Formats: sequence, structure tokens, C-alpha cells
Amino acid sequence: MIDVPAELFPSDAPPAGACVQVERPEDGLAIVRLDPPHRSMPLLDAPLLRDLGTTLWSLAEDASLRGVVITGKSPGRFAAGADVKSIESVTDPRLVEDLIRAVHRLYRFVDRMRPRVVAAVGGPVPGGAYELCLACDVIVACDDDSTRLGLPETQLGLFPAWGGAHRLPRRIGVPKALDAILTGRLFRARSALKIGMVDRLTKPELLLRVASDVALGRLDVTPRTRGPLESFFIDANPLARAIVGGMARKSVLARTKGHYPAPLVALELVLKATTTSLEEAADKEASAAAPLITSALCKNLVGIFFGSEHAKSLAKRTDGTRPAPLEHAHVIGAGVMGGAIASLLAEKGVWTRLSDLSRPALDASLLEHRAHVKKQLARRRMQRHEADAAVDRLDASPDVVGLKRTGLVLEAVAERLDVKRKVLGDLAARAPSDALLCTNTSSLAVADIAEGLPHPERVVGLHFFNPVRKMPLVEIVRGPATSDETVVRAAAVAVRLGKTPVVVKDVAGFLVNRLLGPYLDEAVRLFVDGADALRLDAALVRFGMPMGPLLLLDEVGLDIAQHAGASLFAAYGERMTPTDGIAKLARDGRLGKKTSFGFYRHETAHGRGKSKPPVPADDLPEFQRGTTARDLGDDELVDRCVLAMLAEAVRALDEHVVASAAELDLATIFGMGFPPFRGGLLRYADTLGATEVVRRLDVLAARPDVAGREGGPARFRAPESLRAMAKSGATFRGRVGGRPAGVRVG
Amino acid sequence: MTFSDSIVLAAGLRTPWARAGGAFSGEDAAHLGAATARELLARTDLDPSLLNEVIAGCVGPAHDQANVARVIALRAGVPWRVPARTVGRNCASGIEAVTEAATSIVAGHGDLYLCLGVEVMSSYPLIVGRKMTRMFARLAAARTLGAKLSALAKFRPSFLAPRVALLEGLRDPVVGLLMGQTAEVLARDFGITRAEADAYALRSHERAAAARAKGRFEREIVAHLPLAGDGRPPEASLAQDDAIREDQSPERLGKLKPYFEKPDGIVTVGNACGITDGACALLVTTATRARELGLRPLAKLRSWSWVGLDPSRMGLGPVFASAEALRLGGVELSDIGVVELNEAFAAQVLACERAFASDAFAKQHLQRERALGTLDPARLNPNGGAIALGHPVGATGARLLLTTAHELQHGDHELGLATLCIGGGQGGAVLLERIAA
Repeated sequence: MIDVPAELFPSDAPPAGACVQVERPEDGLAIVRLDPPHRSMPLLDAPLLRDLGTTLWSLAEDASLRGVVITGKSPGRFAAGADVKSIESVTDPRLVEDLIRAVHRLYRFVDRMRPRVVAAVGGPVPGGAYELCLACDVIVACDDDSTRLGLPETQLGLFPAWGGAHRLPRRIGVPKALDAILTGRLFRARSALKIGMVDRLTKPELLLRVASDVALGRLDVTPRTRGPLESFFIDANPLARAIVGGMARKSVLARTKGHYPAPLVALELVLKATTTSLEEAADKEASAAAPLITSALCKNLVGIFFGSEHAKSLAKRTDGTRPAPLEHAHVIGAGVMGGAIASLLAEKGVWTRLSDLSRPALDASLLEHRAHVKKQLARRRMQRHEADAAVDRLDASPDVVGLKRTGLVLEAVAERLDVKRKVLGDLAARAPSDALLCTNTSSLAVADIAEGLPHPERVVGLHFFNPVRKMPLVEIVRGPATSDETVVRAAAVAVRLGKTPVVVKDVAGFLVNRLLGPYLDEAVRLFVDGADALRLDAALVRFGMPMGPLLLLDEVGLDIAQHAGASLFAAYGERMTPTDGIAKLARDGRLGKKTSFGFYRHETAHGRGKSKPPVPADDLPEFQRGTTARDLGDDELVDRCVLAMLAEAVRALDEHVVASAAELDLATIFGMGFPPFRGGLLRYADTLGATEVVRRLDVLAARPDVAGREGGPARFRAPESLRAMAKSGATFRGRVGGRPAGVRVG
Repeated sequence: MTFSDSIVLAAGLRTPWARAGGAFSGEDAAHLGAATARELLARTDLDPSLLNEVIAGCVGPAHDQANVARVIALRAGVPWRVPARTVGRNCASGIEAVTEAATSIVAGHGDLYLCLGVEVMSSYPLIVGRKMTRMFARLAAARTLGAKLSALAKFRPSFLAPRVALLEGLRDPVVGLLMGQTAEVLARDFGITRAEADAYALRSHERAAAARAKGRFEREIVAHLPLAGDGRPPEASLAQDDAIREDQSPERLGKLKPYFEKPDGIVTVGNACGITDGACALLVTTATRARELGLRPLAKLRSWSWVGLDPSRMGLGPVFASAEALRLGGVELSDIGVVELNEAFAAQVLACERAFASDAFAKQHLQRERALGTLDPARLNPNGGAIALGHPVGATGARLLLTTAHELQHGDHELGLATLCIGGGQGGAVLLERIAA
């Protein structure tokens, strides 16, 4: 029997014995089925672990047993790993240790069972579920497209602590295990077989039969474990391990910039795995995992995980049904955004027609699409026929025709109200009566574009970010007339395209650009007031941003940033007063990366060589006027930029621009790269505490250089709701986010 | 069985004709055909699930696209349950697709067909010889090292000599003549001179260049951005036929050497059609169904015919086929406003011209007392033909129909005749009738 801490049992836990079924189809064979009644997809939660333990202990007493098959509800539903939800609320490290030790006892029992134990798995087999497989003698997996195996724990700020950090390197060797664990990658069935993560593949319909035959020894399976030679020369060789470890550490640090401890902990454990006994390993894993799991960082990452799971549910109607998948789409405007969106639609299986008056623009979009597909093919992410289909699915023509079957039209034409209205009006008149009418505007109001259209309830903003393929966020902008059904269908399109949707209100800048406005403007002001450009950017990178604000401005384009700043000012007044610092810089076609010259000099890559990192322009001091920011410390630089944005985020939340603090946090992480380990902008505020945030805002607002400039105090004025939180000690996560944006307001 | 409705070409579209080895050299027939089909379906806003079948004419589909019509259909977004067949009648395959559709309609099998002619001659392969193939087969079957070595030992350098699929495809296997040589036979039969052939070729380029300059082809062409294949990506899409020579001249033509029969032959690469890539799609339905679908048909099929003749004189096919099509349509040559007669070779077109006008030929071959009539040069290939545009074999037939149909409107004619000669000794002709607007 294993003792799972009682605190970890969910309130809807079924009675003992209900979660695991045993079938005895023939002599000597037992099929152990993970089949919890309270979940459609089994999860290795406390009740299931308890029942699995009881079941195996009693089976072990049966001397006639020669083989055991452990499988899930169906070939495609084995188990979705450990119960992360319950982990989220755990704060006591001892509880965590107890659980880990209990699971280790269970898995070790599986490992040592006399009968041959075969894991028969398919569908998602992540984390704890795959660690259960590792404890079995043989792993048989489904040979299909939906099967994914791996140990993704490091992505949640954890590491595979249920034996994974030790059993995987023993199975596939240290180098491959390091790669699998440190990247947290999930492997397709074929690649898993290739590197030895599973021993045998078969079609889902044959899974149980093959697994049973293997369990009873009727079918031979060559174990995919590492040969003695390889393990002697690499896994057991201290020198080789040191080299492999050193390289891995370097690449982890380059990726995490030292902000994430879990991969480094995992790294150490994996390196020593082959020289550690499993008992010892269990001990090490348990004591190393407990502080990680209870850390704020882990909670932040788990929060993001659930946040993005929740975001995907926006694609479902309230009754749980999903809209029919999109088959045909029309994109108007073959600029950077339109072309990339059309390309993505086509890649994801939607018949797409891209239209533009300019034939060269169409050609360029098509060529870019084909080049992308070719790259996917070269990297084996697509097969030949899939690549052909992706190419076939994008047609480009100046004529907007074939609208009868379209399910979505999206305009990505010039940011001019009259043009957008006309284009969308023409499309609305000819498209079917249920087609989504989408705009990719970033600076105009969806309400204004929808005005005068016969079907404003089908008009919705689908705000992609540039570059479309890389940026994971899509803002679903809900106009005053947009219907619930339209929002759900738009979110479904975003999810289909692999994006995370966040529903936002139709306000200037929507959410992400509205927050970026004061952040970027404040950075430029600091620069103008004497802060060193390189140091300013470095400070924010150290804070965790993917790039500094001035470099980001170069990427965005100085002209576009200027335009965005002006429209925010027009909408929100004095607190968005833009600095003239950009305007001074952005003369003579000096517009940032696209002209190779802005705050930085950008060298474009020639041929196959990697492009050099941008270097600050020599003449930057010419654009600096003051000295007030010259001697500010890194923390002060960061506070100025981040708190300006934070105050605006509180205002946006107060205005119900997004439904909840969690969604706002998700948008900051996926839309602007706010550091995931901080859990999002408002989670960062929670970490500081409302009182501290208010205090710092008050200090900033009172600084002479801020107080003395137009709109300065307004920008840093702490919102009343935040002061109230400071008094009551409330947090954003505890605060009910107000009415969700999914529900019509007013 | 009586068929009271009429069969119409409801819509049509083609890619530009591109010189082989040029713009479309990275293409394959399925992609080129499917792109054209998709564009036609989009422009007509037709739901492809309504189609009864997709029929494509293609002489040399890629080895991995055997029933290329089916590949085209699926890659064009036509649903699985709509069947597709590839049809072949050499140079007339594109027309064959349409007359098969028409025959199916008359037989009551359906009333809505997507027909294509498509050919990517650039992708015709080189073939390894039989001996080489046999050696590979033995090598593959060999189990032991010894057997493998002994299979390899059979290798001779001569095995490496490739066979050119294109050239072998253009040789008549029964009479052993290359297509160009059959044109030389006609030139001798009818006493056609090199100067006459070159003058005809020049006229073809002049007319085609003028038509292109006037934008005459724009109504039938959709610009196409070709695949790169293994080569460099294209810089831009091709919007016009690219084989037409604005600067063609008697001097340049005169300099060329006879290609098929040296030294006295008259057929040169300048007065023969070029090797070309292209695709053409046509929607074939009934007048009634077209009305229901809100389509405005281009032309009506009044009659059509297929005939056989001496393979070594295959170039005269249009004369035999036209005689039959005219008879079936109940009209005389003089009633025809425009004749699109495929220009396989200038000598062959001129031979047809003379046979059309010859009482003796009519008596001997056509069971007629009098000649069919004179082919008015003004009405014969008014926009040039294959000598200027090129001749992507499987696609040409469909283009002849499309060009003729548009010419009925453009030139204000009641009747038009599209006809071509077919390697192997056949002729085909379709009589089109204008539909009152």
C-alpha cells in the first residue's frame, strides 16, 4: 500500500478501488486499466495512485501471474501526467516530499514485480504518466499522430521527480535524456521509438493485443535500452559526462538567463543518474523537488499553464459545443500581416485566398509561404504530401472572388477607416450570411469599422502581432455589437492557428499596445534624460524581458511606434503624453530595423551567415538632452518602465478591458514577452504587494523630473482600486476580475 | 435516345503558355492543373461538390501522378466523392476531355463536368534503358554479396546512355517517323516550299504578338506564380504567353537549318510548334444547368468528330475531322466565322489549307463532289497559333476551344471550328456556336 497525503485528495475523489479496473482475459495475464470515474482523461491524482498501489499489491500475491499490462481508458487516453492543479495549491514542502516518496515506492514496486509489466499507452503521455511507463519492463505505444511522450516538467518550473530524472538517462543515455528533459519536448511515437523512449509501436486498434502478447512472452521485443558500450564510454565516463554537462549547462543558461533554477537541478540529477542507485535517486529527487514545487516561480508557470488551457476553452460555446472548423477564408491585403496570416491559415488546413491590388505584393506573399513550407519540409516537420497541400491551400489573385463558401473574411488593408469600411462592406455584401467579418486593425476601433455594416454582430477584431508566426497571442477584439457566437468562432480560429486567444474590449490600443505605450514611452524619456541606451535595455533584459525597450522600438519601427503613441494620447489624454524623443530620432528615414538604423545599427544577414547582434548607434548622445536619468540604478530604470505599464494595466482591468487578471497576465506574457517566471504583469504586482506598488508609484510621481513634465504625475498616479487593495491587503489573483469579457457589457 | 438540351462551355481559364525549360520548369502537372482549376472554381463561385466528374487530358503525367485528373481534383479542393479520370488522345487530349464530358452528358450520366488539358513538358524525364533496369532488378533481388557482385558485373557504360522520353514520345511507333518527318511528307505531297512555311510561321508570331499587345488573351489567362522545383524561386508570376517572338523576321527564320530531314527538308524549329508547358480548365455543362447555376456560358457545342487516317500523313487530320464535324453540324465551311487549326507545323497547316480547297482531295478522301472550301486566311488562326504560342500537347486542345469560344464574342461570329491533327494518324474537330447574350 502507498500512503498518499490526505490533503492531496480532491473533493470529488471516488471511493477506494474505483479508479483502477483489472481484467483477466486469459490465464497468467492481468490488464490493469486506469479508469477513474471522475475524469474523462485519467490523471495520476491521489485517488488513482492509491488504487493503482492497492491493485498491484494484490496482483503481486497471485503466483500464477506471468504478465501485467498497464493501460488507460482507451488506446488514446492513458494518463495526462501528475495532478498539476493540486500541486498549484500546495505550499508545504513536506507534503510534496511525502507524495514523491510514496510515488517512488509505487513505481519501484512496479519495477520489481515478478511478472513482466508492459505499459500500453497512446495519446498524450506526459510527465508522471511517462515516468510510470519508465518503471515498466516494456513500453508499447500507439503508432498514430496524436501520441506524444515526454517529460515536460521543466516548462512548469519543475523537473521529472517521479523517477524520470534517473530512469530516462538509464534507458536512453545521458545526452539524449538531457535533451529530452531540459527542453521538455514531447516526442511523436516514431521519434520516441528511434531514440529508445519506447520499445515497440503498433496501431491503436492492436495495442492491447500486442501488449498482452509481449507480456506473456509470445512476442519478442528487443529492448531499446542503451548498449553496454555506449553507456560505458559516455554515461559511466566522468570525463564525457563533464563535457556533455558543461555544454548543456551553457545552453540552459543562454536560454534561461539564470532566471529558472529547475533545469539546472535536473541537469545535475541526470548527470549522476547512472552512478546513483534508485533508492538514493528517490531521496535526491524528493528533496530537490519539494522547494521547487512550492516556489513562487513554479506557481507562476503553473498559473500560465492553466491560463493558456483556459484561453483555449474560449473556443467552446457555453454549452460545450465547438463551432464547425473553418474551411475557406479570404484575406484582403497582402502586406506583412495579411500575407503572414493567410500563409498560416493555409498551413493549418484552411483553403485561403489572398487578394491585393498589387501583383508583386501577392507574389511576395506566395513566395514567402512556399519558402516557409519548404523549410518545414527540410526540417521534416511536414511530409511531402502535407507540404504540397499547404502550398495548394494558398491562392493569390487581385480579384476577390469565390466568396460563396467562405467562412471568414479578414481585412489587413491600410489603417484608414474609409478604406477598411469599404473593403469589409464589399466583403460582407458578398460573403455568406454566417461568415466572420474580421479586421486586423491595431489602431482603429472595431465599432467604427463595423458602423454602417449590415451585420455588426459578425464583425470582430482579430489582432495578430508581428511577426505572425512567432507571436503566440491573438487579441479577439469585441466591438459593442459583436455577438457571443462571433467571439467563440474567432477564438476557435485563433486556437486552430496555434495561438492563444484573449478577448479584449474595443478600446484604443486594445490591451497589449495600450500597455506597451507608457512602457516604451517611458524608456525613450529615460534615454532622452541621459540614461545609457545599452544599459537601459540590459536592465530590462535582466528583469526578464526578451529584449530591451529601445531595441523593441527598432523592431516595431519608429514610425509605427510614433503613430501608436499619438493615437493612445488622443484616446487617453495626458497620462499618454508622448515624448518627442522618437520624432527627433526618426528623421531621414531612420525608422529602426527595417531601415537598418534606429537606436541601433542592424546588420542584415548575408547569405547563410548569422546576422551580427545590433550595436547602438554612434550618434545617440546627440539625442540626449538631460542628465536626470543618467545616474539612475538598474532597479530604478526598470521600475520607471514597468510600473508605468503596471498602473495602466490596473486601469485596464478596472475598465474590464479583459475579463480577469489571469487573462491580462497571459496577454502580457504571450503578447509582449513579459517574463513567464514572474507569472505576468499583475502577478508581479502581487509579488511586490499592492502596498509596495503604491509606495513606489507615489515616489515616482513625486520625482521632480516626472512631476515637472506634462502628464508625468497622471501616468504614475496609483489607481484608486490599487490603493484600496493596498489597504485591504487584497491581491489581483484573489480579486474577482469583474464581468468577464465573454459576456456582453452594457 | 434524344438529347434536347444543349451542351455548353460555361467558363474557361488557362495559364500562360510557357516555353519548356523556362518559367514553369519547376512545375508538375498536378499543381499547375489544380491551381488553374481552383481559380476557375473561385471565379465561377461554383461549389465543387456539385461536379459529376473531373476529366483531364494529359499525355505525360509525372510517374507519381498516374491518374493525374484525380490528383488535380483533390488538390483543387474537389470533394473525395467526385470521381476523376485522365484521358489521352495525344495532342487532342484537352479536347478529348471535353468531348468525353459531352458524351457523358448526352448519355445522361451527369450534367456538370470540370475538364482540363494540362502538360508540363519540362518535366518529361530521361529514361534509363532496359538493360540498366534489368541490372537494377537483379541487384535488388540479390541476397548474397556474390549475387550482388555478379549483378553489378553485368554493367556496361552504354547502359548510362539516357533515352529522352520527349523524343521517343514524338515518334510514331507504327510508321517510325518523328512528327516533324510526317510534316515533311505533307510538304512533298503538296509541294510546299520553305519560303511558304517560313512566311506562315512569321504570320503566326505577328498575329500572336498583336493579340497579346491588344490584351486579347487577358480574358482567358490567369497569371500564375510557378513552383520553383529544385531551382531558384521565380521572381514574379507569369501573366502572358512567353514564347511569342515580337522580333521574328524572315531573315532569322531563313537562317535556321532543317531539323528533321537534312539537307533538303523544310521543317525547322522556327516553323514548327515549340515545346511548352501550360494548363487550361473548362467547365462543361448544359444550357439549363448553366442557367440554374447563374453562369454565362461562352459557347455551345454544336457537333464534334474524331477520325483516323494514314499515320505518316497525320497532319491532314483536321481536314477529315472538320468535314465530319461540319456534316454533323449541318453547315458548310463558308458558314464558319473563325477556324482555330492547331499549328503543329507550318507545312502541315499549309497542307491542310490546300486539301480543304482541293476538289480532287475531296473526291478521293472525303466522299464529296466538291472541295470543303477555301480557308480564308483572315479567319484562320486570327490570333496566331502554336508556332508562336507553343504546344503543350495535352493542354492545347482545351486552349483551342477556349480561344475559339472567346473569338466568337470578340470577332462577332456565329460559328467557330476548333480542329487539330493528332500523332498516330487522327484528327479531331469541334464546332462551336455562339450563345445569344
